[in-house]
Amino acid sequence: MSKYVPIIGLEVHCELKSNSKNFSSSKNGEGEVNTNLSVIDIGYPGILPVVNKEAVRKSIMVALALNCNIPEKLIFDRKNYYYPDLPKGYQITQFANPIGTNGYVMINVDGEDKKITIQDTHLEEDTANMDHLSTYSLIDYNRAGVPLLETVTDPCINSAKEAIAYLETLRNMFLYLDVSDARADLGQIRVDVNVSLKKENDDKLGTRVEMKNINSFSTVKEAIEVEIKRQMDILESGGVIEQETRRYDEVNKTTIFMRGKSDAVDYKYYIEPNIPPIKLRKEFIDEIRSKMPILEYDRKNKYINEYGISNVDASTLTKDKKLSDYFESIISFGANPKETSNVITGFLLGYLNKNYKNISDINISSNDFSDIIKMMSSGKISNKQVKDIFTKALDENISVLDVAQSIGTQISDKEEIRKIINNVFNENPKVIEDYKAGKNVNGFIMGLIMKKTSGKVNPGVTNMVLMEELKKI
Amino acid sequence: MVSKSELEILAKKLMFEMKDSEYETLEKEFDIILKQMDLIGNIKDIDKVSPMTFPFELDNDDSYLREDIYNNEISFNDMFVNVKDYEDNRVKVPKVVE
Amino acid sequence: MTDKLIDEIRNSLDSGEITSDVLFDEAISKAYKYQNDYNCFVTILDNNRFVSGNSVISGIPYALKDNISTKGILTTGSSNILKDYIPLYDATVYKKLKEAGAVLMGKTVLDELAMGGTGTTGHTGIVRNPWDKNRMIGGSSAGSAASVALGIVPFAIGSDTGDSVRKPAAYGGIVGYKPTYGRVSRYGLFAFASSLDHVGVFARSVKDVSYVMDNIKGYDAKDMTSLPDEDISYVDNLDNDIKGRKLFYIKEAIDIESNSNELKNIISNFKDVINKCIELGFEVEEVSFGRELLEAVYPVYNVISCAEATSNNSNLTGIPFGNRIEGNDVNDIIMKTRTNGFSELIKRRFVIGSYVLQKENQDKLFLNAGRVRRLIVDRMNELFKKYDGLIMPTTSDIAPLFDKASDKLSEEYLILGNHLIIGNFGGFPSISIPSGFVNDMPVSVNITGRVKEDCLVLNMANKLESVLGCKGMVAKHE
Repeated sequence: MSKYVPIIGLEVHCELKSNSKNFSSSKNGEGEVNTNLSVIDIGYPGILPVVNKEAVRKSIMVALALNCNIPEKLIFDRKNYYYPDLPKGYQITQFANPIGTNGYVMINVDGEDKKITIQDTHLEEDTANMDHLSTYSLIDYNRAGVPLLETVTDPCINSAKEAIAYLETLRNMFLYLDVSDARADLGQIRVDVNVSLKKENDDKLGTRVEMKNINSFSTVKEAIEVEIKRQMDILESGGVIEQETRRYDEVNKTTIFMRGKSDAVDYKYYIEPNIPPIKLRKEFIDEIRSKMPILEYDRKNKYINEYGISNVDASTLTKDKKLSDYFESIISFGANPKETSNVITGFLLGYLNKNYKNISDINISSNDFSDIIKMMSSGKISNKQVKDIFTKALDENISVLDVAQSIGTQISDKEEIRKIINNVFNENPKVIEDYKAGKNVNGFIMGLIMKKTSGKVNPGVTNMVLMEELKKI
Repeated sequence: MVSKSELEILAKKLMFEMKDSEYETLEKEFDIILKQMDLIGNIKDIDKVSPMTFPFELDNDDSYLREDIYNNEISFNDMFVNVKDYEDNRVKVPKVVE
Repeated sequence: MTDKLIDEIRNSLDSGEITSDVLFDEAISKAYKYQNDYNCFVTILDNNRFVSGNSVISGIPYALKDNISTKGILTTGSSNILKDYIPLYDATVYKKLKEAGAVLMGKTVLDELAMGGTGTTGHTGIVRNPWDKNRMIGGSSAGSAASVALGIVPFAIGSDTGDSVRKPAAYGGIVGYKPTYGRVSRYGLFAFASSLDHVGVFARSVKDVSYVMDNIKGYDAKDMTSLPDEDISYVDNLDNDIKGRKLFYIKEAIDIESNSNELKNIISNFKDVINKCIELGFEVEEVSFGRELLEAVYPVYNVISCAEATSNNSNLTGIPFGNRIEGNDVNDIIMKTRTNGFSELIKRRFVIGSYVLQKENQDKLFLNAGRVRRLIVDRMNELFKKYDGLIMPTTSDIAPLFDKASDKLSEEYLILGNHLIIGNFGGFPSISIPSGFVNDMPVSVNITGRVKEDCLVLNMANKLESVLGCKGMVAKHE
């Protein structure tokens, strides 16, 4: 067994959704290069920042969801450094007074709950986008000034697996709160990782190594694993870990030295003098709180406790907010929650998986979905028919209700079934003979009935009525 | 005392170079500043005062925050009046060395 | 005509005796006439014309300091690094003056990036004092002060971070006003030290300053530090009764032993002013402010202003704008651009600012400066509980000869020379008005009042001005 424990801290940068940028009125969103611009974004002499209310609102929402303390006053700081993607020569951020401090979030790893403590979450601005070509670079300022929320954990994560569970929980939180699309592939969510190794049974933390700007969760996982191994090898061969910044090389699966402690930048933080402290009134925060959607963890518990859905299925439903929203919308039209859940987890997800589709590709309205579930509950259609209806509707991209109509509905009426059975008896006198002779003909007769009705009869009811009729013979 | 080499590093981090004679002037200026600031550090109970950033308190609350409405004031056509080198509507610079 | 007071010019315009075009041409021709000797302007806007407006200042030409953003008009900050910079937007103060119908006739020379007090460090050369060409007008709003003192324009706009409006106004024999912090929007004013920067006004009377203030003050959604609107006209309140208003002056600054006749005469001029104040009905008292705090004023200013300046000017890299000088890589470009773009004085200040902000020095230097700033402002506010204003000689000297002054730091504690900075520390409204002559050069008195009480400060200054006999002075008469 290893005598070292990995200690990991994560800093997650997330671009917030809003109409305008954090400190200027130019557009936050899609656009041709260098069109979402104001003089503020490109740092012209004499410009002043004006804070976006929506960015503050969304940041507070995240801070509340992370169980953070919210300060009485909103204060910003300047982080000073030179880089061509930073037009003002400083980034407006929050250093001394983050919008959320001392929070926590629960994660679940292999069925075990773990509390991840949050040092702070703070609001800042994104930099311009640079395209590095072979001999030169091109700068697009559209991204400069986009609101960015940075969430920093304590060094309390002990494995790559926990790190990923935390990242997924956090991303889900952003999606549930609708503060960001949180798409790593678009750079909307970026991760800095600190890794150190601590001797087991020792309180002293080891020297930490930082890896910046990792763009996907799977790369985070690899980078952590590779870096843990690197540090372990050094320590076990009697070496010393240097405090440094490294870069993860995805191709060679190794981390590469970038800069050491002595090259660390002194950001000369100080209070942004152009933004006077803004009092966050209780009413303002209460209003944000009142508009917060129920989060993954709470939804899951509700599904289990109120709807009697299994832990596993509830997890599956809530893991993806879009799916959970769809589910809630379906049951809002009166469908039985548990049966709805069964159809989704027992059939729909498998179908999507098999066809490389996801929940957003489904164009069945939740009202229609609910109607189908209701038909199933009332016995009008069988479980199998539900699957057939959905499969046909999804395959051919047609309405589920039309498919249900054409397939027809299930026959459960006892007397109607009795008539059908008697017709089958009349048409097949030989079977009656066989029965009288003591042969087991139940299966054969059921087959005849199914064939005659194209499988529309309710099998349970039919079987029961068949027994009754046979006894009469 | 602030040494010349220290000052050279500071200047370099500020992305400019200075003449030798300027470093000498600066050394003298630092002697004065540090002496003056030492005296200031001796002001009674100074550590109990919170540093002032804003000339006076403004009672601004969240209603002073900007409503989230977008409006693009300028675009590259305007911006390139002041840009020396560009390509495909983006500002061009020699390759950035990490 | 441009050397007259606004009331007189307004009457001539309204009566049709003169048109705004004629007035403008007069300003332009004077500007050219004096440009060689005094160097007021970076840019003279020959082709500008009155468009529309119906305020008291509409159709009247004025000058703007060249660190105030004007869309489509070269704005250099008097620095090489911005020598070709064309802003894409209007500063709020410029926009408001345009809306009022005032006509911009030129952009004035300043000390490079407003960081200096001599008027000698602009990239286009030194500005001279209209009263004596061998003397400086002072800075940093040098060209704005000189253009008003020369009678080129009846008013001009400057900026004041330590004394940059009030001091050149004093040296130039005109009125200089620094309003309450946030009273006039800073949007578009090139930032020097954001927490100390103010837009200010030069004119030849307190009334003219008030006319301009009434048109440029007000809340600006683009400046979060701007003050809410007040429903009041400064001009309408200039003649309010000031009987019983209490003023104080600082004992430590006035009670000085000096062999200098110049200083003695300045103090004696000040004592005359005090007597006139008392005759007007003011109550004036001598107050001991505290030597320790007064001696701290300049060092504290130096630390805070340099720190903020080094950050505020980090945008000057030559990349999205500015005088880019090519190099091998991006860092080389930025390095060359900044090395060539800034004068050595500016660089020294940036190094000082950067040093005091460094992690290991910040508490002892930058934050201690902030602490003492608070102690000084608290002391002022405590005195303002009893007094309506501080009255002081604006400067401790007359405009210096060019070889006498330096922008290098000195060890001398010039209490009298530095009291104006207190107005920036606390954002107090502060006005300098000419009060007479010493050695044939103008001297001046300054009144500083409570925060947000611009109206009262202008009212008190107007009353005092009426008995000092220096209203409407110009250095040159046609």
